[in-house]
Amino acid sequence: MSRASVELDFFGMEKENSCKSQFQKFLDRRRSLRGLQGAISKMNPELIKSVIASGLTNPLSQDQIDSNKPEETQSLFPALHLLAPAARTASENGSETAPLTIFYNGTVSVFNVPRDKAEIILKHAVEGVSKNVESIDSKVATPSSDQQQLLETLDGDLPIARRKSLQRFMEKRKERLTCASPYGC
Amino acid sequence: MEERRTAPFNTGMPDAVLKCVLPYLDGPRDRASISLVCRRWYELDSASRKHITIAFCYTTTADRLGRRFPAVESLKVKGKPRAAMYDLIPDDWGGYVRPWVQEVAANLDRLRWLHFRRMIVRDSDLEVLARSRGGVLRALKLDKCSGFSTDGLFHIGSMCRELRTLCLEESSIVELDGQWLHEIAMNNSILETLNFYRTDLVQVSFEDLERIARNCCNLTSVKISNCEILDLVGFFRAAAVLEEFCGGSFNNEQSDRYNAVTFPPKLCRLGLGSHRMPSVFPFASLLNKLDLLYALLDTEDHCLLIQRCPNLEILETRTVIGDRGLEVLAQSCKKLKRLRIERGSGNVSVSHRGLTVLAQGCLALEYLAVYVSDITNASLESIGTYSKNLCDFRLALLDREETITDFPLDNGVRALLRGCEKLRRLALYLRPGVLTDVGLGYIGRYSPNVRWMFLGYVGSSDTGLFEFSKGCPSLQKLEMMGCCFSERALAHAALQLPSLRYLWVQGYQTSSQSSDDLLAMARPCRNIELIPARRVITTDQVEEAVVLEHPAQILAYCSLAGPRTDFPETVISLDPVL
Repeated sequence: MSRASVELDFFGMEKENSCKSQFQKFLDRRRSLRGLQGAISKMNPELIKSVIASGLTNPLSQDQIDSNKPEETQSLFPALHLLAPAARTASENGSETAPLTIFYNGTVSVFNVPRDKAEIILKHAVEGVSKNVESIDSKVATPSSDQQQLLETLDGDLPIARRKSLQRFMEKRKERLTCASPYGC
Repeated sequence: MEERRTAPFNTGMPDAVLKCVLPYLDGPRDRASISLVCRRWYELDSASRKHITIAFCYTTTADRLGRRFPAVESLKVKGKPRAAMYDLIPDDWGGYVRPWVQEVAANLDRLRWLHFRRMIVRDSDLEVLARSRGGVLRALKLDKCSGFSTDGLFHIGSMCRELRTLCLEESSIVELDGQWLHEIAMNNSILETLNFYRTDLVQVSFEDLERIARNCCNLTSVKISNCEILDLVGFFRAAAVLEEFCGGSFNNEQSDRYNAVTFPPKLCRLGLGSHRMPSVFPFASLLNKLDLLYALLDTEDHCLLIQRCPNLEILETRTVIGDRGLEVLAQSCKKLKRLRIERGSGNVSVSHRGLTVLAQGCLALEYLAVYVSDITNASLESIGTYSKNLCDFRLALLDREETITDFPLDNGVRALLRGCEKLRRLALYLRPGVLTDVGLGYIGRYSPNVRWMFLGYVGSSDTGLFEFSKGCPSLQKLEMMGCCFSERALAHAALQLPSLRYLWVQGYQTSSQSSDDLLAMARPCRNIELIPARRVITTDQVEEAVVLEHPAQILAYCSLAGPRTDFPETVISLDPVL
């Protein structure tokens, strides 16, 4: 079942509620749409435009993004490594698009993007804000609860690695089913 | 062992007596204890030890094996980390059989049974093995191995005429022809077990299979790849004592032709690659092992079949069995010992409802591995209450449901661990928030006998790992995925856990000082290896590029062999000296 929208709190809007239990945070996250709107207003507008533009038009801009990333932000979010799928078949990964809705500065924009591009966009957005936030908030010492929430929210679809033998069997079966025709191929 | 002890330790028992007793003690732990008593007992054990399992090939060297146990008759060596079965390890990672085969060829004169698991085998290795030990080798298992072709198997077929067991299950083999099986058919008359299940070897001829069945009067187990079942009518007729059969395919559209297929009368272990079941019903009550992984049955079919199998002890299937199928299992299969429910595609799933009923109905359960879409504390408690024989429990929480009914699962996990006192192996693959730091602490405190654990997405901070590592007194091998722990915490855990000798982690908080934190766990005789984060680009069936991101991995293990020297470029050794 594909989800219609992506709700996030990746700017750590709940930092002030860090004393809450995990359970409570989990519930609160689901009500964070308003928080999202407020959070995006903190972002650099030029950055937003460039992120959306690059995320949509350039499918494998991942390399460019990586090389442009300054060192300090890279270390702030090593957790993002965890989010990428370990091994998935093509039909699961990226071929289905879902709407990504962005509320910015009084405007609402909806983009149909596949999952991998959505992740690229979100990654950019997080880095964009962290550059601003870093100077304000200096308690970066240990893996913070914001990173934790980032981990949990972006990773809504956990990439459970499939057993190779079963994976091969399923793929072969898909091939056989797709080429089956009444005339027998 | 004391190298410099000069006065022999007097145990008061003459060697002759000990030599009479020793053959009755073949468990590896008993033998290990014996070898630690004194020099003399160590020597007697070395001279008489029959079976050795090298749980990880880089913990020692082949020549050390030969020097200590020259009379070994049965050897099992394991290579790549378990994660290789899930495509998480580079193909060329390592685990080469060559040094072991060379030792076997040169020094291990008594070797009769050889088993390599998750290792890289070359055709030349098989040729060396066949030429040196072909005359005496009784069993060869190349289990989830890779790197060889049917040419290598040809040598085995033509020179290993004493072979009773040949197992190639799930190996990646380059298929050039079917001559290897023909060699076996022409040269072997004592084969008992033939297994090339879950391989892609399809050029085998059914006539060779039939010939083997006719020549080998003790042929009891045959597991093949996709040979058409209609071609095997002659084979089934000839294999009069066959007890186990897996594989085959049902490709003929005229399904009534399959009614002509009669299975051998003693068949009690079966794995079919089809939904055509009626032919199984007549002898379903004899079945004690059933493999439905590739059978493409739906839930209803599962129920119809399982109802007819009161003697079932081992079942492997996919989540399509559903909670309803588990209810039928609980009612009908009271002797069930092992159940494995693999992840399938489709909408049917298994949940806490089915597990609770299963636990209450199948009290003999020793092994339970299941992918669930939902789980509750109560169902884990039921398992703790009823599954008193459980030794191996593996639970993976699928991602299909956005929320699960009941979490955190801390109390349920605790109840399960306290109830299942025989538990030796445990795997929990969950999601963030489902098992908190407190729950992770419970695992540490309440798993006194667990030797192996696989933990995925557990805990929420280093505190959890800290609490965990205060316990787990028997834990020897720990594998973790997707955890939030820092390198410092991992190093601390590796030092705290008293029995730990193997640690594999993928997905952790890399620290900005890179490997310094990890080196805190460095010790003499401990190797630490890193596979940094990789990006693998493959093509899928529709020729599109698929980019797979693999997070960084750590592998740390005790070793007498020093750091590896056969690395591919994807693997980095952390050497504290440098």
